[in-house]
Amino acid sequence: MDILVAFWDGAFGSTYAFWSATLVRATPLLLVGLAVALAFRAGILNIGAEGQLILGAIAAAAVALQLPPAPRVVMVPLMMLAGMAGGAVWAGIAALLRRRFGVLEVISTIMLNFVALAAVSWMVRGPLQEPTRVYPMSETFAAAARWPFLITGQRLHLGIVLGLLAAGALWFVLARTAVGFRIRAIGAGARAAQSAGGVEPERVAARVFLASGALAGLAGASEVGGVTWALYEGISPGHGYTAIAVALLARLDPRWVVVSAVFFGALEAGGASMQREAGVPAVAVQIVTATILLSVLAIAQWRNARRPVGAPE
Amino acid sequence: MHVNLRLNISKAVIFIHTTIFGILGCGAEGPKVQDSQRFRVALLTPGPISDQSWNASAYAGLGIIRDSLGADVRHVQTRTPAEFEENFRQYGAAGFDLVIGHGFEFQEAAQRVGPEFPRTTFVTTGGTGTGPNIAALSFVFEEPSYLAGIVAASVTRSKVLAVIGGTELPPVRASFDAFAAGAKSVNPQVTVLTAFIGNWEDAGAGKEQALALIARRADVIYQNADAAGLGVFQAVRESPGVWVFGSNADQNHIAPAVTLGSVVIDVPLAFRLLAEEVKTGRFVPRVVHFDTKSNVVRWVPNPAIPPLPPAVRARVDSVRLAFAEGRGPELAGRQ
Repeated sequence: MDILVAFWDGAFGSTYAFWSATLVRATPLLLVGLAVALAFRAGILNIGAEGQLILGAIAAAAVALQLPPAPRVVMVPLMMLAGMAGGAVWAGIAALLRRRFGVLEVISTIMLNFVALAAVSWMVRGPLQEPTRVYPMSETFAAAARWPFLITGQRLHLGIVLGLLAAGALWFVLARTAVGFRIRAIGAGARAAQSAGGVEPERVAARVFLASGALAGLAGASEVGGVTWALYEGISPGHGYTAIAVALLARLDPRWVVVSAVFFGALEAGGASMQREAGVPAVAVQIVTATILLSVLAIAQWRNARRPVGAPE
Repeated sequence: MHVNLRLNISKAVIFIHTTIFGILGCGAEGPKVQDSQRFRVALLTPGPISDQSWNASAYAGLGIIRDSLGADVRHVQTRTPAEFEENFRQYGAAGFDLVIGHGFEFQEAAQRVGPEFPRTTFVTTGGTGTGPNIAALSFVFEEPSYLAGIVAASVTRSKVLAVIGGTELPPVRASFDAFAAGAKSVNPQVTVLTAFIGNWEDAGAGKEQALALIARRADVIYQNADAAGLGVFQAVRESPGVWVFGSNADQNHIAPAVTLGSVVIDVPLAFRLLAEEVKTGRFVPRVVHFDTKSNVVRWVPNPAIPPLPPAVRARVDSVRLAFAEGRGPELAGRQ
């Protein structure tokens, strides 16, 4: 029981735990979860959110470090744009390969993840290495390039606002607009969308792919700008892969991605607390979090199975 | 049919829950009493403590602190800079006396969190950052690496040596340079091949990297790759006539038949020396250098293989003595 108490305390037990541990961890998962949900909705299996996040982090860090000093109101939006551009470019490579040569994006995006890992390793030992050239990391950003915290004394930063705005916007576009209808149509059946609906699946798909990459890239910018204030090699502990689970648990619905991201953030925060407070070994923590996750999936599946076939979600 | 399946799922879920929490419940009957009078020490490792190397030795050190000083100890495995900072802050807020981040990568987080919790001493293993309550441990790992280089050059037949690292970190690079310098002091003709696995966990990749270097005629391998290094031992075990060195912890027992010796950082000893100073209030925050003289870093020959020729042993001993007296060969990378 002590363990579960520690878990709860670490995730929700105090204002600090919730605002500074759970939600800080949920922020990248929310943005990347939305990226994955968007792509999957259109039938694009973007497994490369990890790489797109890393490229976004590199691009935002480059802006923060290389540009002449600028006030925060200029610098932070520039970092966001750079992050989105970085992620979109990385996704764009896979989109181009798919459109021109018919390369399956499942394969190309996974491969690009490894290229991105190598790219960040090179960056922190080459162009963006700190001035003493000893450690594989960048210099710490100037104050103007650090994203504002939302609450004094808490680590929660601007990134979560972007995530919530993105979730709202994405839900609106997908559920209420013609563009969203086309995206869902090609996801449901590209051929049918083409012959019956006059949609050009590949064009829509390419744009969705870029948008998905931009969202993942924004997550990277938010991590370096809001949390680490520097570029490192281990900038992402696999957020891009966890986000696939985040999106699937949310059944690809942007509104539920918010809930699901907070849930995963709580799992990570609670897991850290179990180690810290209750002395549970790290591997056992992974077993517990995996068990909780499996249970939630099983319950979700069970409830889903009771619903009559064809009922709306 | 469907109903049965559903029942089974919920039964399975309940079963898994009871089993796992049952097991953990038994295992975690540790000290729960949070006695504020007790000396409290926390350790953050960047990787799993099952690596039989860097992280394992830190965890052993934590055990020594608990046993010798009666401290209340905690350990947490962390992966990203965001987690380093979060855990530093949480331990600081909980009023821990000493918090150790086991790697140079923790120094940034220590600098950020340290000023908020002046009662807690934050120490990073490696790194150079110091402050009123921030210190760094520095291991002069180059010295015993140089000794290993002497041994390697004395036993190689192909005159090709290899070094394999996890990722290219400054202390690892410095120790590899010292290893090469030691080898060349015996025979300037030897070649030293260098490879980095790209991570510290993937034993499969470590094995592949080692086999590739063996295919390029390397017959003595100095590895420093933690859990991934276990794959290097595996590759050497399968390749007749090839030798390997352990590093960080005493790894002579992993592959006793093919290991020449280990370049050891006695982290437990270093942690104990550190914790004693902190506990008694004698600690002055600084970069603490542990070298051959302190006996924290040392060359440990493998007792399970026939001893090296007397001439080699004499050479190693004389250079070690020179290091201990501060008149050893000049090594780059020493801070």
